[in-house]
Amino acid sequence: MERVRAGEARAFEVVFDRHGGAAFSLAYRMCGSRARAEEVVQEAFLSLWRSGVPYDRARGSVRSWVLRVVHNRAVDALRREVSRESRDVHDERLGERIASDERIDIEVERRDDAHRVRSAMSELPGDQRRVIELAYFGGFTHTEIARMLELPAGTVKGRMRLGLAKLRLSLGAEGVLP
Amino acid sequence: MSDGEAMSGAHDCGGDAAAYVLGALEPAEADAFRRHLEDCAVCRDEVEALEGVVKALPMAAPQMPAPRELRRSVIRAVREDAARAGREARRRRWSAAPRPGWPSWPAWHGPRVAAGALAAAVVVAAGVIAGIEAGTGGDTGRLIQARVVGISGTAQLRVRDGHGELILRRLTPPPRGHVYEVWLKAPNAAPVPASVLFSVNSSGAADVGLPRSLKGVSQVMVTPEPDGGSPAPTHTPVIVAPV
Repeated sequence: MERVRAGEARAFEVVFDRHGGAAFSLAYRMCGSRARAEEVVQEAFLSLWRSGVPYDRARGSVRSWVLRVVHNRAVDALRREVSRESRDVHDERLGERIASDERIDIEVERRDDAHRVRSAMSELPGDQRRVIELAYFGGFTHTEIARMLELPAGTVKGRMRLGLAKLRLSLGAEGVLP
Repeated sequence: MSDGEAMSGAHDCGGDAAAYVLGALEPAEADAFRRHLEDCAVCRDEVEALEGVVKALPMAAPQMPAPRELRRSVIRAVREDAARAGREARRRRWSAAPRPGWPSWPAWHGPRVAAGALAAAVVVAAGVIAGIEAGTGGDTGRLIQARVVGISGTAQLRVRDGHGELILRRLTPPPRGHVYEVWLKAPNAAPVPASVLFSVNSSGAADVGLPRSLKGVSQVMVTPEPDGGSPAPTHTPVIVAPV
């Protein structure tokens, strides 16, 4: 990473080759469109390259660092898009976006961990999985989710908390988390 | 925090931690929760534990390789940046130590070229870092439609806290060997470099942060300029945004 900070293009290429797939996968999952996902990933990587934002080892792996930037960019893109179309998105339309992974034909599982995380997610009660997906992959706030699902805000936050706690237990048991 | 909690000043410890790590609190709530974290070890522990889960969530997305065209386009931009930065570094060395017999560089060119050169490797910190770190949520500022002249695409200028960000979509890329350069113009004054050079991605998009304050600026303009930028515009503006 020191070489990346020093402006070495080849070092940055290695970062892209190692993490570009995970970055694109996340962006595609969030945006539901290949073109938009490419745009988000390109903006994210070039902002990392050009801004000189230092990688802080204490805050996690390079992959987490890259994916956090991609996630923030994708949330920005989604919020811009939704604000243009009005924030009152119909739940059915959102469902299409969230379920976009089911339309992907060329799926390549990168690591066993990915299987385990997906499996742990699928084992969550549907109402907990839904609020976590809407927040993380959909970029919605808890109040927007509450309005969308016609639930009290406290219920949405409670489901998020229960869902993440269960994920933590199951991912810990699977060895994905320490 | 619920309205009731906010009014009473009480706080349900841990109640907001999950929404916080998922980025699902409203901006004001997130600020309040960050302040709360400074004093609450229980919530800090919960946030730390749940952050690990959130870091694993990207793996719940179906995994696939990055498209080749995406890789090509990122790597091309990175190599161009690196090459441009190298050229600018050489140019700076020349202008710092002119050779005997060569015409001297006019004094006023120095800082302007240096400012342009600085931006060659950087699509500038203020906007970009804001995009990375604080891009989600918050005040979105004032959005101004810009005129796009002689090329295709759309351009908007977002003004927030006295600084601007150009939001460009489906824009024609600059001609080969050229970049886009941003200029700031005050009333009755010549345009001055904003110290920003940029290009667009394969779909013609770019979000370009402007590092200087827009105080006293009446127009933000963009012109195509030779690689490395110019000390003064050499081309008619292709984008003009009134401030």
